[in-house]
Amino acid sequence: MSSKPFQNSLALHPLRAVRVDKARGPARKHQGLRRPAPLWYALWLPQLTQQPAIDGEQQARLQQIATSLGALSATVSIERPDGFLFEVGSTLRYFGGIEKVRTRLHALLEPLLHSWALPRHFHEAASPTPAASLLLARAACNLLVYRKDNLRAALGRLPLHTLALPERKKRQFHNSGLYILRDIWRLPSHAVAQRFGHAFTKQLEQCLGHVASPVQAYQSAAVFFSNLDCTYAIENKQALLPGVETLLERLCLFLHTRELAATHLHLAFVHEQQGRTEVEIMLRQANRSHAHFQLLLETRINALALPAPVIAMQLQVTQFAPFAVHNRTLSGLPAPQDCHADLNDLLPLLEQLQARLGNPAVRSIHCQDEHCPEQAGLDRPFGERLPAVAAQPADAAKDEERPYWLLAKPLPLRQEQGRLFYYSSLRLLSGPERIETHWWAPQEIQRDYYVARNRQGMRLWIFHERPSPNQHEARGWFLHGVFA
Amino acid sequence: MQTPDPDHRLRSLLDSPNLWRGSEHYLAATTQAGGHFPGLPTGFAALDTSLPWRGWPANALVEIITPLWGTGELQLVLPLLRRISMAGKSALWFSPPCIPYAPALANAGVDIARMIIVTPPPPQVLWGIEKALQNKACALVLAWPGHLSGKHIRRLQLAASTGQTLGILFHHRNIRHSASVLRLRAEAEEDALALTVLKARGSYRHDRIRVPWSSHE
Repeated sequence: MSSKPFQNSLALHPLRAVRVDKARGPARKHQGLRRPAPLWYALWLPQLTQQPAIDGEQQARLQQIATSLGALSATVSIERPDGFLFEVGSTLRYFGGIEKVRTRLHALLEPLLHSWALPRHFHEAASPTPAASLLLARAACNLLVYRKDNLRAALGRLPLHTLALPERKKRQFHNSGLYILRDIWRLPSHAVAQRFGHAFTKQLEQCLGHVASPVQAYQSAAVFFSNLDCTYAIENKQALLPGVETLLERLCLFLHTRELAATHLHLAFVHEQQGRTEVEIMLRQANRSHAHFQLLLETRINALALPAPVIAMQLQVTQFAPFAVHNRTLSGLPAPQDCHADLNDLLPLLEQLQARLGNPAVRSIHCQDEHCPEQAGLDRPFGERLPAVAAQPADAAKDEERPYWLLAKPLPLRQEQGRLFYYSSLRLLSGPERIETHWWAPQEIQRDYYVARNRQGMRLWIFHERPSPNQHEARGWFLHGVFA
Repeated sequence: MQTPDPDHRLRSLLDSPNLWRGSEHYLAATTQAGGHFPGLPTGFAALDTSLPWRGWPANALVEIITPLWGTGELQLVLPLLRRISMAGKSALWFSPPCIPYAPALANAGVDIARMIIVTPPPPQVLWGIEKALQNKACALVLAWPGHLSGKHIRRLQLAASTGQTLGILFHHRNIRHSASVLRLRAEAEEDALALTVLKARGSYRHDRIRVPWSSHE
């Protein structure tokens, strides 16, 4: 440990460890499952408050830093107005030591500070208690204390004015000839409490870890919103793509730090006067792949008509799902309840097609257990869930021949001199097959179906509509399908 | 220096890709070791034997030309659809003249969960077909693209070979000098589908094959 620990040292210097006893310190071999000793890392970034910034922006900066610190620790706390705390004791082994954590921390924060045109230096300290870490960081000490026993010594050199105390109390200390914390520790503790109040002693106890100091973990709402102002108005769609990429990078960092995946993206291009152009992308499956998002957005943007130059773009995501890697069942077979499980490889293509052509343009076909031919086969936009879908056609229709093309609406057939015509005269090959629906069905049909062929060689599925009880005349012949 | 064996020299010359050879030799060249042909069986023995790949060419574009829709062209690809869906792969149908009827396909043994129908507005059809052909996850593309020119076909053929996807285009017009690997004309006859091989890359044979209607089961 240096003899002058609290002279303003630059943050770029490596942290100095305080009397780390290698044999008994953090490298001590853990016996069995032991909870690692907590180590709180504190940051002090006075530059955040020194520069005048709009309130909202200040808040956004604090949150952005706290979000990126989430990559280092599960517990991050914003210590307003300019400090941060995060727990690294539990992640030290994962990252491979405090120096590695520190390197990552600098790699995270320096580009951020640089992008806000703020000085890149900041103060940091780590110790077993959050209060002590924060105190050390705010005193610009840049100290690393691994063990609680060493805290007293490390804090002893801190001037009393670094403590968060009212001005009157600070003066009181000065007048009593007490300048550094060690001066306080030389006094009997009950006398300190009597002279300077319980709030002060509690603060000291918290620093030393005798009293727990609760830390309020930062948890931002699971809403992603990012805005990017263009340096100039952009008219060319291709020129929008780099901006979109930046927004997606922010989104993917957000998703990775929270172990989330997005299911719905909302991108808006802001025009100077004519409002906004909005692009919505619904994802079939929650995803967090940057390349996939980019492909979808690019496809949509290329097909977009921009009414005016773009001055800003905003990406908003409010629907998330927990990130899950793709699982397979033990046997290697797809899970039976998800009929689209095996189309996973195809999903990026289908989403790209949907992004450009619209959701209803990509369709899947289904069978239904119905007698009425129109309802036995269904087509629905891909991904739409149907209440009851049979993988196989109704048993009744299994043995009968059915056409591969079914017309959406039966086509009336021309009749001349008792003959039916479709391109040319028809010859019946087989039939009739009677198809009737139940009397309670919404669409009551009574039809005799035949297979017919015309001179062009087309095999056609035609029917003769039988008169219903309340209609006495036959309704004629219709073409319903083609055996292509 | 030892003089190389003349047979060996001939063989090395024949193995050289720079040397163009007639159909029979091409066939021999495309046949992999062990007599395995690279094509996907069509399900019709007569058609298989008259194609150089002994089936549909893999990773290529095929044109099926019919005078009208519904003259049996779908039955021609049904065995292929059955094989592909049973292998757990998917097929995309672009702009079919009607929505395929699910019960009929399911009866024919096709897994309908793997059949995806795409109905883009007409100007976007070719874009969609190209994207699907370029995608390796898609095994088969069936497309009814409407208007086609030689330039379109060349581009789609390129997409099919990069995406290793079999693309089958159905249309009415025989475009001469098209870049597709296989071009068939399909006409319905009384009891069979008559196929004429208009072009098969690597073969001079212009066979006329009759596929009986009943053979699709």
